[in-house]
Amino acid sequence: MKNTKLIAAAAFVVGLSFGANPAHAGKGGDAGKIRAAINSGSVDAIIAEVERAEGLSCGECITLVTALTEDSRYAVREVAGWWFAKRPAMAKALAEGFVADLASGDAVAVRNAADFLGSTKTFTSLPALRQAAGRNLDAEAALALVRAAQALAHKDGKPVLQAAMSHSDAAVRAAAVTAWRDILDNQDAAPAIGMLGDADSSVRAAAAMVVGALKGAAGRTQLEALVIGDADPFVRRNAAFALGQIANAGSRAALTKAMSDTSGLVRMTAKTALALLN
Amino acid sequence: MKMLRNIAIGASLLASMSACGGEDTDSGPLGSVDALVILQRPKRIESGDIFQYTSYQAGARIVKLSPPTADGTLETLFPTAAQGAEFAQADISGYDISFDAKQIVFSAKLNASEHYGLFILTLADGSVDQVPTDPGRDYVSPIFLPGNRIMFTTSSTLLLEPGAPQHVDEYERGVTLQLGRINVDGSDETLGPRNLSHRTFPTLASDGRIMFTQWDHLGPANAGHLMFVNQDMQELREGFGKEGKGASNSTLKAQEIAPGRFVAIATARNRTVQAGALIDIRLGTDVVEDGAVSSAGNASEANSRYTALTPDVPRDNSPSADTVGRYYDAYPLNAKENPDLLVSWADGPVESSVLAAAGIPANFGVYLYDTERQARRPILDDPEMWDVFARPLKTRPAPPIVGSATDASLNGQAMIGSLDAYDSTLKTFAPGSVYGIRVIEGYSSEEGFGRMFGTTMFEGQQQLGVARLAADNSWLATVPANVPLALQSVDKFGMSLLAEPVWFSARKNEARVCGGCHENRTGTTNVDPGQLDAFAIGATPMRGLAARADRKSSDAILANANLIQADGSGFDQLMGMAWDKAIQPIFNAKCVSCHGPDNQAGLEPYIIMDPATGESVSWTFDLSATKRPLVIGGEDLAGEWSASYFSIAGPDMEAIDENNLMVSGNFKVYMRPQAARDSDLIKKLNPTVVFPAPTTERAFTTTPHSQDGGGYAELTPTEFYKLILAADMGVNFYSRENAPGNADY
Repeated sequence: MKNTKLIAAAAFVVGLSFGANPAHAGKGGDAGKIRAAINSGSVDAIIAEVERAEGLSCGECITLVTALTEDSRYAVREVAGWWFAKRPAMAKALAEGFVADLASGDAVAVRNAADFLGSTKTFTSLPALRQAAGRNLDAEAALALVRAAQALAHKDGKPVLQAAMSHSDAAVRAAAVTAWRDILDNQDAAPAIGMLGDADSSVRAAAAMVVGALKGAAGRTQLEALVIGDADPFVRRNAAFALGQIANAGSRAALTKAMSDTSGLVRMTAKTALALLN
Repeated sequence: MKMLRNIAIGASLLASMSACGGEDTDSGPLGSVDALVILQRPKRIESGDIFQYTSYQAGARIVKLSPPTADGTLETLFPTAAQGAEFAQADISGYDISFDAKQIVFSAKLNASEHYGLFILTLADGSVDQVPTDPGRDYVSPIFLPGNRIMFTTSSTLLLEPGAPQHVDEYERGVTLQLGRINVDGSDETLGPRNLSHRTFPTLASDGRIMFTQWDHLGPANAGHLMFVNQDMQELREGFGKEGKGASNSTLKAQEIAPGRFVAIATARNRTVQAGALIDIRLGTDVVEDGAVSSAGNASEANSRYTALTPDVPRDNSPSADTVGRYYDAYPLNAKENPDLLVSWADGPVESSVLAAAGIPANFGVYLYDTERQARRPILDDPEMWDVFARPLKTRPAPPIVGSATDASLNGQAMIGSLDAYDSTLKTFAPGSVYGIRVIEGYSSEEGFGRMFGTTMFEGQQQLGVARLAADNSWLATVPANVPLALQSVDKFGMSLLAEPVWFSARKNEARVCGGCHENRTGTTNVDPGQLDAFAIGATPMRGLAARADRKSSDAILANANLIQADGSGFDQLMGMAWDKAIQPIFNAKCVSCHGPDNQAGLEPYIIMDPATGESVSWTFDLSATKRPLVIGGEDLAGEWSASYFSIAGPDMEAIDENNLMVSGNFKVYMRPQAARDSDLIKKLNPTVVFPAPTTERAFTTTPHSQDGGGYAELTPTEFYKLILAADMGVNFYSRENAPGNADY
């Protein structure tokens, strides 16, 4: 879908007609190479050419890269956002349209908006991201909201992640709990502890990792049960890691048993965790 | 077994190669090798950047080719069904063979939602155990160290500072890697001090030190250099590539040929699939013994030089030609003048953009490379895989355990200093011109910033303090451990005389005392801090134990025009020069009445023109806090910044150059990053002495603006110093004090 709204926004900012002579960058980039890369369909070619046009000013480049903010592939949307982030005034102008999409756009529009606002580190979008997190969105859009909150790493993005921890899709819940760790200076493990009993093993594994990194002592009992009883070796490994970080002597029995785990993922982690106990 | 287009050279072919250099036998450079270990990764187009480490495609394996001949048997060592279903989807990024050739340590990512972790494969029984590390972060490039240890690079900061994010790289699209080590049994994980950019591809030298590639970026510096560090990640020293010595922008994947001699990849930072030309690096004076050439005597970065082993291969990121290709890695089989190498090589245009557009990944295969004849002979080429990092499976001597002294009395701080600040190969200082050394802390956007700190492309910076030189020109300071640091020699006006062009860092309780400010590296430096005058005086305290959140100034301090007292105290309360909080108040109080939006001073504008389109825009000097757009070529160069910032810092000159824009009229960049002394604004104002205590003595012989007949306001010593700091710390708009992430949203 052609992003006519965003192109119009960009045109408003630049106040000139597009399609003028393409500038040729000192690094060898130009609009023609970006277009050729887009036509090739290759994510890597697109990324390479957008990166090469890092400092390039040309109307056609803006048109092309603006369209890339709506690409179906995250890696392409991310590099497009990075390109605009190097142009703060233009990114700010475009962000206004994306913030509006968070409130009223369809799931694809929310996805694109969240990825742009995260990759440009638009902190002022946090209220709109929180609001969007309350909408009934599909997994792809919800994952993009999580990515944005993770990229911003701001405490006011926590509600976005907490909402995503209740999403019906396990991948969203796992991403949200993983991102919880990356909030700047966050020391609160409670939401991650609450995910240790999730029905999906990938969520439990992520939660155990975050509880360990944040040294969430309140999760110890659950972790001890996971390290010896969970069917998934990744969960057992991460639970052993977490117990080592919490370092409570009460975990000794569980970790001792885990040293004989059938999986090579778990045994040495349990042994090391045991040595860390107080 | 999967059908392979497995081309192996025969023993008879190898036998024809010359035998000398201490390692060969009559059967050629591989004659003493029973088997090769080779990493096979599914072919891919991504990972063009030399510091990229997160690429994942299931299906990698570690194989053994035994013997390394055409009829050799290819055996998968990892993953196998017996090792567990959890390993079946692994990708593997690197590995190393233990000194006794009984174990392999490797870095693998087991599925798309996992991170790269470390694993040990025991060859006798095929068992695999994960080395316990932070499962939420990546651990790559493992190598064995003597003493049953493993060194690696990692994105983890878990053991350094709770809640602290790892730095993001220069292009701010990836988390940087730093050095760490852990015991083989999983105990005692230790992380090295963080630097602002990546450290990657560690390799062990026979003297026990580690050589690795460090991305050096401070302002205009952007290059990957080889550095040395001890096994405890202390005593960082330059290895190869700086000050015009390098063969390329970046040098990586070094492997020791002989003491003081390394083979490495010379290439550009990006778009070359981490591949490039092969170079033979020699750090000192050559010694030939039994045909083996070493270069350890007088070894230093300053004495270093290189020989191109593949002269046709481009060392930049231009597409390589057919039959020329690029090399992914090399491993020396002997130390002859022209050594024989095990290499991974791919034909054709090994350049990301060309490969991606064609949809054809590079195809790396393993070859034996005769550097004398510049001839490759194929050993293994699976067309579906990258066949890389071929290594002989045999024992090798373990180098000595090399450690460094630590000083527990530092209580977790680091101590830095130098014997004689005047001892420098970069600048000849006038006697008595250096007052002291300014120490600056660096950070990137991970602490709650947008992608840009300003228009000058410098990272965020905080002044930690200035250490006054002692009578013998020595200095010492206690600083925070594990943070990027940069040094500037400053004069009595507080202006930088020499800015070291790199970030460095130190561990807790590490004492890093150098000879000088980039002293002559060919000489011997005997550092004994106990004999220094600076030691007798005591190290200057520079917030060595202050938490990161406390290493910033309050708004009141930044706004205070009279912070520096008559006795000289107070200057070190100024840390980050947040433009709107520290600099704009000066302009509001002393400048905007003439240099506001109405341009009462009547200064002429400058013009930026695009010769391709004929479009032009103009800008007039304006020291107000208002925001004024300046749109050309589709971009607003000024609108995100205050008019005062854009007037002083100027536009992004890289963008001006890159877009072939022409600038004419009354154009000046009033503040030059890291160069207050050369900045027009500072010259015009002509600051007064600030160190050790303020006086009325001026820095320049010209008439200061305050005295040139207009009745203009004089600045206070504090105001002068704030402007000087802003210039010398990169002319940024943002610092910790005005980080967007500080606000509530």
